[in-house]
Amino acid sequence: MTDSKTPAIACQNLWQVFGPGADKALTDALSRSGNDADKAADDLREKGFIPAVQDANFEVKDGELFVIMGLSGSGKSTLIRCISQLLPGTGGEIRVDGENVVGASKKVMTDLRRKKLGMVFQHFGLFPHMTVSENVAYPLRVQGVSRKERLARAQEVISLVGLEGRENSFPRQLSGGQRQRVGIARSLAVNPDIWFLDEPFSALDPLIRRQLQDEFLRIQATLKKSIVFITHDIQEALKLADRIAIMRDGKIVQIGTPSDIVLRPVDDYVREFSKDVAKGQHAKVASVMRDDSERGPDDPGLTTAMTLDAALAHCMELYEPVPVRDAAGNIVGTVHPSDLAAALQVDEA
Amino acid sequence: MTAATDFPSTKATHLTAGAKAALITVFVGALCLAFEGSAPWLVKWPAAWELPATEWVGTFLDWFLNSIKPAMRLFSDLMTYPMDAANYVLGNTPWPILIGLVTALGWYLGGLPMAALGFIGLSFVLASGYWAESMNTLALVAVSVPVALIVGGAIGILANEVPRVKSLVQAVLDVMQTVPTFAYLTPLLLLFGFGPVVGLIASAIYAAPPMARNVMLGLERVESDIKEAAIMSGGTRFQQLFQVEIPAAATQIMVGVNQCLMAALSMVIIAAVIGGFNDIGWEVLLTMRKAQFGEAMMAGLVIVVFAVVIDRMSGTLATERKRYDPRVVWAVLGITALFTAVVWSGLPDPSEITLLNPVAGAMDSGLTAFTQANGPWLDALKNNSMFYVLLPLRIGLDQAVLPFTWGFQWTPGMSYGLFAAGIAITALMAWRGHLTGGLVVLILIGMLETGIANLPWPFVLIGAAALGWVAGGWRLAALSVGLLCTILFSGLWERALLSLYLSGAAVFSCAVAGGLIGLASAVWAPVWKVVRPICDMLQTIPLFVFLIPVLMVFQIGEFSAFLAICAYAIVPMIRYTRHGLVNTPDEMMEAAISSGATEWQIMRDVRAPYAAPTILLGLNQTILYAFAMLVIAALIGTTGLGQSIYLALGQADVGLGISAGAAMAILALIADRMVQGFAEERRKALGL
Repeated sequence: MTDSKTPAIACQNLWQVFGPGADKALTDALSRSGNDADKAADDLREKGFIPAVQDANFEVKDGELFVIMGLSGSGKSTLIRCISQLLPGTGGEIRVDGENVVGASKKVMTDLRRKKLGMVFQHFGLFPHMTVSENVAYPLRVQGVSRKERLARAQEVISLVGLEGRENSFPRQLSGGQRQRVGIARSLAVNPDIWFLDEPFSALDPLIRRQLQDEFLRIQATLKKSIVFITHDIQEALKLADRIAIMRDGKIVQIGTPSDIVLRPVDDYVREFSKDVAKGQHAKVASVMRDDSERGPDDPGLTTAMTLDAALAHCMELYEPVPVRDAAGNIVGTVHPSDLAAALQVDEA
Repeated sequence: MTAATDFPSTKATHLTAGAKAALITVFVGALCLAFEGSAPWLVKWPAAWELPATEWVGTFLDWFLNSIKPAMRLFSDLMTYPMDAANYVLGNTPWPILIGLVTALGWYLGGLPMAALGFIGLSFVLASGYWAESMNTLALVAVSVPVALIVGGAIGILANEVPRVKSLVQAVLDVMQTVPTFAYLTPLLLLFGFGPVVGLIASAIYAAPPMARNVMLGLERVESDIKEAAIMSGGTRFQQLFQVEIPAAATQIMVGVNQCLMAALSMVIIAAVIGGFNDIGWEVLLTMRKAQFGEAMMAGLVIVVFAVVIDRMSGTLATERKRYDPRVVWAVLGITALFTAVVWSGLPDPSEITLLNPVAGAMDSGLTAFTQANGPWLDALKNNSMFYVLLPLRIGLDQAVLPFTWGFQWTPGMSYGLFAAGIAITALMAWRGHLTGGLVVLILIGMLETGIANLPWPFVLIGAAALGWVAGGWRLAALSVGLLCTILFSGLWERALLSLYLSGAAVFSCAVAGGLIGLASAVWAPVWKVVRPICDMLQTIPLFVFLIPVLMVFQIGEFSAFLAICAYAIVPMIRYTRHGLVNTPDEMMEAAISSGATEWQIMRDVRAPYAAPTILLGLNQTILYAFAMLVIAALIGTTGLGQSIYLALGQADVGLGISAGAAMAILALIADRMVQGFAEERRKALGL
């Protein structure tokens, strides 16, 4: 079983370079640049190679919902395909539950996929010739689970995603939202520990998208999978993520919690993303809390998990520092109402 | 100086690629004409320079074929078992049972329309009196199709699994598509001797490529998400392929099955040429030779009926199917069994049914009456087309214009006059800014004066190189010249030019007529309603059947062959032209309308340019169709490579058959690559 200290996924110096003879080209470029990733990437580009993922380093903790965000062409889909070994990585290391999967044999990978990994695809990837139940039961079928047993399990996950009654429909008879529910159900059929979702809601209408996001959060709340979730939508990333990695041109430019991304963008590129975001809805009081104990007389009842917007609404008339409590009701710090306002103003200048 | 006056001068110094290529071609052509008298080797490739390549190929193939003969003979012996079985079953099943089975199958596949089609079609076959012959043909198809499906499917899957094999398979399939059908038959004849097995194997070889192609295409087109989902489900490669990818590609694979069936039927009928089997194709050939055109037409119709029934029924496999009530299937089968059991002893032998004999007789006499009544008119049409169009194209105005036909003798003076006029037109067009167009006109005038069959070989080589260079760069130019040189050295050059002339004339006519019909179909929906079923029909009919009507009316000769080629090759031109013109994106049309363009302006400025790449692809198909038909048309009198292939078949001359077949394939291949090159360039220019 997974030790809580072993990350579910750990990527170290992961590279994915496209082009003929990419392996050697990467080694050469790295030795020429003295292991400077940026220089090596430029070098590779000049030679006509495409470094789709350059020197990615991150960990996904057990039970964490890790979102990778970036524009199209930023390499996020390539990155998730490296981790799931749909593409053989060009260089670096990927550990799934501590086990290095780069260069793992076909058999090892097949085993891993049968037991530990599940994946949801942007365009659903449903098998057109199978019914909903057959689609969902397919990952069990390839393992040779008996028909009765696998259909029973399929029924369980179909109920979980709320598709009862459509078991015998074919994918073409379903709406986009229903299709992705099937995709989600299928990826959960083997009860995997690690769940990959590649832009699962991008092909859906905004309303259906929000509905599925909420259901996804509900499912995750009960299942507690370790998740790698890809999206190009910052709102979606902020809404779902425990932590977000932002990618640009194959490079991870920032990894942080939603508040970090919104309040402390590392560069203009990340700032550009968070510009349209109503920060007050995503950043929590904790991000502007101070340790000092100098407070005014008022206690508007702020908590660490409150969003800035909510906190500000409580402090409209206040100018003195106020106490902040944690979930248990203990005072853990102080917030200056002016800090609240300032945090929301960062970009307006 | 203003920018406006600068413009022409920069243009004059920077010729477009097309203008450069045309200039070089004109220059070489002029040189050849100038030295025609003093250096005859410039015009006609001297026989002394030819290599006995045909014999070499023949010797090698003889050796090769003889060395694999025992294995092949064993194979053919093995194949006789399923063949005999199929023959026995189809020949001895009472006809009501077969009709009932086909009707039930029709219902299962496509409901009432298909059931009716199957019932009426087979009833017609029965009434025609060709039941026994038809069953022999069907037996051949029934054995060759499974072989083709398995072989083609296996090749398609292999190519999909092993990327390195893929390009090789693709290249082989391309070549097989261009090698004319008769060329397969000669080596097969040597391997298997005369008899039905040759037809069987030829048809399997001919029918396997479309299957392989569609399997490859289908597997390639399976969405990457679906393939990845299969991987992430933890399937082994075998599971991924057979449980997910192949079923997901089923529609495309069914298109392959449909094409495979049609190709097999077509080839089985063509294979009748080598005889030895009492099938329906042989019947057509026999009655045609005896000039019993009514009977030939009837037998031809039987073939058409088979083609239509097989095509439409298997076509339903490739569309999304509804489920039809299976009880009807059982009911039909039950009624059939009952009917057969009750009245079988009283039923006539199918070969004694002569219901349609009077029709055939009437057709025969009606046709005789028609040709007699319209004889002068038809002859005039044929002779005028020959003397004023085809012959000048073939041997040039300088030889075709004779007092006997044109009323005067061509003189060198007239040649000079023609060239002078050509140069004047070119100069005029160049002055108006259409230098390339002018040069092309000059080249065409020169070709008309000389005749395609008499074109000097350096001119053809340079012309091909120039065209290849414009269409696809240096590589295509080099490929064209290299391949043409092999024809030149092999001594098939003159025959190749003759083939080029006839197919060129047919392609040109098809391009003009087909383009216009396609345009009309795109503009007026009612026209398309009429044209579409005709096109469907023409594409379903096996090649061989095209010969019957033209032969009936115009007898043996080049003109009949020309017409048969046109009738077959015009279809893609019509289809693609219409398709290209109709499928202009709505936004583009709306933008043009809101800019205030008239219908005609939209057609000229928006729809036609957008459709250009599609129309070019249609032209490409037309060229390939024309080459395919050229060889079949050799049966009714063409000269050139087609005739050589046909003769080689008669004499079992493998060397000649294969060399001439290869030469035709080379011509088709070069034409194909060039047109594709132009189409690709247009597509790129439009950003498609």
